[in-house]
Amino acid sequence: MKEELSGQIADEIREHRILVYGKGTKQAPRCGFTLETVQFFDDLGYPFEVLDVLANQDKRDALSEMTNWPTLPKVFINGKFYGDTDILAPMLESGELQRILDEAFAASPSK
Amino acid sequence: MITHEEIESLIRTALPDASVETRDRTGTRDHYNIRVRSRGFSGKPLLDQHRIIYDALGGALKDGRLHAIELKTEAKEL
Repeated sequence: MKEELSGQIADEIREHRILVYGKGTKQAPRCGFTLETVQFFDDLGYPFEVLDVLANQDKRDALSEMTNWPTLPKVFINGKFYGDTDILAPMLESGELQRILDEAFAASPSK
Repeated sequence: MITHEEIESLIRTALPDASVETRDRTGTRDHYNIRVRSRGFSGKPLLDQHRIIYDALGGALKDGRLHAIELKTEAKEL
């Protein structure tokens, strides 16, 4: 069960250049922070995916354990964990996020 | 519900020198903006700085006294 979940998460992270695990969906966020994250990436203009894990406690536990990060949303870019917008906003200001995005989207095209 | 003093004291168990500012976002004392400055952050990536705070506040987040936080961390100069 646990291995299955880790495998599933690894696949999802690989599949999407920018992936947000959140509460609710892109169209219907069910948490203020998930909404903020959707707006953050909408503004940036890069394609991103939001996966709703609100009702899936096992997957939330697996994600928290894997990232050593207790809260949702959780953002992955190019397979790497970056926390949430409290981390990403200062990274955007410093220019670091742009470098990471350039690198992520310069590689072979993906969704 | 949790008070500013309780938040500050939890954070100071991990970072004794921390300056902690809080703002109650909703008036319900369970959604806070928290700003922490500490020498303990210096040289650490932002992700690890935030992990220190989440660890310190872990109990309060888990039992629901604290529902959500918006966090800003900053290294204090030595």
